[in-house]
Amino acid sequence: MTAYTERSQGSPWADFLSEQAQVLSIAFFFLVCVVFFAMTTDTFMTLGNLLNVIRQAAPILIVAVAMTFVIITGGIDLSVGSQVALVNAVAAIALAAGLPWPVVVVAMLCFGALIGLGQGWFVAYQGIPAFIVTLAGLSMLRGIALYLTQGYSIPIKGVPGFFALGRGELFGIPVPALIAIAVAILGYVVITSTRYGRQVVAVGSNMEAARRVGMPARWAIASVYVVAGVASALAGLLIAARLGSGSSNAAVGFELQVIAAVVLGGTSLMGGRGTIVGTILGTLTIAVIGNGLILMHISPFFTQIVTGAIILIAIWLNTRIFTANFRFGFARGNRP
Amino acid sequence: MSDRQQENAVAVGSGRVNPARNGRADGGRVPRIALRDIRKNFGSLQALRGVDLDIYPGECLGLVGDNAAGKSTLTKIISGTYIPDDGTMHLDGEPVRFSGPADARRRNIEMVFQDLSLCDHIDVAGNLFLGREVTRGPFLDRKTMLSEARKMLDALEIRIPRLSSKVAQLSGGQRQAIAIARAASFDPKVLIMDEPTSALAVAEVEAVLSLINRVKATGVSVILITHRLQDLFRVCDRIAVMYEGTMVAERSIAETDLEDLVKLIVGEKDER
Repeated sequence: MTAYTERSQGSPWADFLSEQAQVLSIAFFFLVCVVFFAMTTDTFMTLGNLLNVIRQAAPILIVAVAMTFVIITGGIDLSVGSQVALVNAVAAIALAAGLPWPVVVVAMLCFGALIGLGQGWFVAYQGIPAFIVTLAGLSMLRGIALYLTQGYSIPIKGVPGFFALGRGELFGIPVPALIAIAVAILGYVVITSTRYGRQVVAVGSNMEAARRVGMPARWAIASVYVVAGVASALAGLLIAARLGSGSSNAAVGFELQVIAAVVLGGTSLMGGRGTIVGTILGTLTIAVIGNGLILMHISPFFTQIVTGAIILIAIWLNTRIFTANFRFGFARGNRP
Repeated sequence: MSDRQQENAVAVGSGRVNPARNGRADGGRVPRIALRDIRKNFGSLQALRGVDLDIYPGECLGLVGDNAAGKSTLTKIISGTYIPDDGTMHLDGEPVRFSGPADARRRNIEMVFQDLSLCDHIDVAGNLFLGREVTRGPFLDRKTMLSEARKMLDALEIRIPRLSSKVAQLSGGQRQAIAIARAASFDPKVLIMDEPTSALAVAEVEAVLSLINRVKATGVSVILITHRLQDLFRVCDRIAVMYEGTMVAERSIAETDLEDLVKLIVGEKDER
């Protein structure tokens, strides 16, 4: 009997490196940014500023965790910014109408899920590319928000319980940051250790295989848009609570920040590969850059240029590092 | 030339008679799967023009033929992907009619596709348990899956050092072995393999072939489609040759050789 070949077994360390290369490189990038701003500004490393950074990063992180799920399935959700704005506006209208805030919060989360379900249905069951469906969503949902508010900002008054969501602190940590951390931990556990998470990865990795082994492949795809909808609704509520108003002009360009954070964290746009840890680091990197450049008194317009350039460089480095390991890992294998 | 044609004509003639005779003469054994007069048309194309085939438990049947001979159509009918226009199918003596692939799988007919069935970004154990994950409460029971996966692989003597490594890091042969191990672990009665060795290196082909032999030894009926004729002689008990939608010959391994097979496949009988 022929002994089985063991040709492609490298050292476990090389495997670990190639698997974690993305996260390690973004972690390195994050540390470089932190050190740079700590040295160039006096205020960056103060507790107050760091709390401010995580308070502002919270909505992005919440949606980025959900976006990681979407991108792992090989999809994308461009409509999250518009969803945030719509929920933001509708929540303000509902609160202004005198509805109790816990009811509004629950209703808005359900509303987000419903929007996500609609988009997910088109993507998963009707086979329309996610890019198209959510691009339409981006336009329509923002449009609805504008129509409902007629472009005005709607003030929210006299609901301290609601404001605590955006402005409160618990043990000295801002409530939005605590919520975001909870969401990130939940996302990490779900994607790594639950059957649902396994289905999401399988669908993104090999749709056909997932379908053949009897996984609910279509539902897995539709569900990630529901997750994104709920996360967007949560982010919209936190922003409304922090600013004390609801506006159809909230979260413009939000989807790009979110997608940038996820991609910066090493999640592959081709699907299958992605980590929540990478997404957290990607989000923090973008937040730190934005904050640090402002502290350095650099024009806010410049922030966008730098953020874009850093995304490009980081992903370029990522790709190079990953490719090097890829070759190393498969050098003696026989796959093309 | 005329001698050879004569020989061929005889060979083909006897081949045509054989299956029917086998079906009756072997009366003591019930075929695992028995196909009678299976026909399938795609528009004007007669993909299958009345195919008879018996496969017995623990037997490996090689299915060969030129491209478009109808091999894939036949296996897709057995695996429920296509529904035949005409003809009957018996599974362990019972007449069956599959409504779709899921139906066929419920009746323990599994199919292994060339490199289509694994998720690169999931580890070995996860792929073996894909679609039937072991859970404890809401969480994946990694420990149980790892130890069960080890047992599954050991039973088929598949050696993969680290079950927690991603499938993308494995060689083609190891990937194919995992795909076969997974199909085998669903407790199949019939296991259909479409070109399991076509993209593999020499050593990996050997490994997969001996794996097929071990699967066969557990009583599974294996149908092997391959263009690598030399592989057939390593694992198959019988070889069925298809030509233009018909079964032109059936040979037991002992009574055929490579040259004979090649002649049957290219169909020199047409010159008769």
